[in-house]
Amino acid sequence: MRRLVPALVALLAVGAAAQTTGVLPFSISEVARILAHGPWPPLPRKDPSNRVSGNAAAIAFGATLFGDPRLSVNGAIACATCHRADRALADGLPRAQGLARVDRNTPTVADAHLQRWFGWDGAGDSLWAQSLRPIVDPREMGSDLAHIAATVRGNADLLRGYRDAFGAPPAADDEAVAVDVAKALAAFQETLTTGRTPFDDFRDALARGDQATAARYPLAAQRGLALFIGKGQCNVCHIGPRFSNGEFHDIGIPFFAGPGRVDPGRFDGVRRLEASRYNLLGPFNDDPTRGTATGTRHVASEHRNFGEFKVPSLRNVARTAPYMHNGSLATLRDVVRHYSEIDEDRLHADGERILKPLRLSAAESDDLVAFLESLDEGGP
Amino acid sequence: MFGAGAAGACGEALQGATRTIEGKGYVVAFKTVPDPIAVGEHFALDFAVCPRAKGEAPRSVRVDAGMPEHRHGMNYRPVVTRRSTGAYRADGLMFHMPGRWDLVFDVVGDGGTERLTGTMRIE
Repeated sequence: MRRLVPALVALLAVGAAAQTTGVLPFSISEVARILAHGPWPPLPRKDPSNRVSGNAAAIAFGATLFGDPRLSVNGAIACATCHRADRALADGLPRAQGLARVDRNTPTVADAHLQRWFGWDGAGDSLWAQSLRPIVDPREMGSDLAHIAATVRGNADLLRGYRDAFGAPPAADDEAVAVDVAKALAAFQETLTTGRTPFDDFRDALARGDQATAARYPLAAQRGLALFIGKGQCNVCHIGPRFSNGEFHDIGIPFFAGPGRVDPGRFDGVRRLEASRYNLLGPFNDDPTRGTATGTRHVASEHRNFGEFKVPSLRNVARTAPYMHNGSLATLRDVVRHYSEIDEDRLHADGERILKPLRLSAAESDDLVAFLESLDEGGP
Repeated sequence: MFGAGAAGACGEALQGATRTIEGKGYVVAFKTVPDPIAVGEHFALDFAVCPRAKGEAPRSVRVDAGMPEHRHGMNYRPVVTRRSTGAYRADGLMFHMPGRWDLVFDVVGDGGTERLTGTMRIE
């Protein structure tokens, strides 16, 4: 906090001049909350649990594997089938479609490396463990460890990529090879960081007291930002540079996945995490200190976790429709309407009490959408 | 509530303690590691538990935290280890939202359990 003081002093001047410069008169407290959503991008950081994190050869090998359908059981589905470059690394569908349709929306893998938990239920605690899951899920790529290892061993281009990345040919142990494939995929995905946005330029201008630059940020987006950190309290969960606290909440989205089926969300995610051989407490974590496993070691399983899903990042959110864990909301305007009119009866009876209907006016809804659209690396 | 500063014997028992909580039978002095803490980041607590005059040494201590206004606790279960007589570390805490958190120390002695609660704000 101490390091922010000079910036905040400068910002008082911005606020005083707001009405003539096109910058809203944010209070010191509001400015502090705005600054908490940056800076962006974050400094590169290697994952100690993955020995090829940051390794250029592994990144190249992972990029090849990401787009390679040979890892799937039918040779037709790749990671990039659902995480499409032309769809902000999501797929634009309500629910993912692999070998079968799954119950959840495809999350983007952009900025995924900055997360603590992976997947809507957080059943993965590392990017590499999460990268293995869809390859062997019978509804997605339908592969298995033996097929993954045989594919690498049996194709000269993949064999060469493996050797370059890991410095040795694949071992005889199929599981070890499959985990290494996942670690190369993770190394590649660590490079998928979203670009700077108009919000970032505004935020940084506030930080240095640069009125002229701050005033370029549209007033509608500024009003939406004021709602986001004020009346809406969206930043209680969508906090930090990624606009996510990385944790799990029940926001009143139905968790019925189909006739007679429910999606338990985080409740099942913790169970699967703890049962997984690939979690950070297991034998495949390359971090001998296990300092990377703090969350896994201490995670609590609570009844209230039923129907909780992970708070998604909001960066590039305008590109990743439809929304929510089940893709049930088609547009950002639908999302804003959901929070404006939220049905409290749908929230877990013994869960947290955070959400109330925001009762936004039409103009306020427009402003909030304008703000969300400004979290985009391409504009507006 | 927190006592006034880290003054007093218990505060001195823990080098660098930044806060104290005074209860009927015990005083707790603690500091967060790191200090300050950040929303959504794991942290630990180094703390000392000191019996008041004629009080008994604690048999064990549990640590927890919650947001009473939101009616939820942490998503993580801290583990307390004793480092020396009266000195402890709690690992695995995380405040995953900004706002007011109640930090709870349950001190178990021969005469029962005393709960000491302090308030922290994190933004």
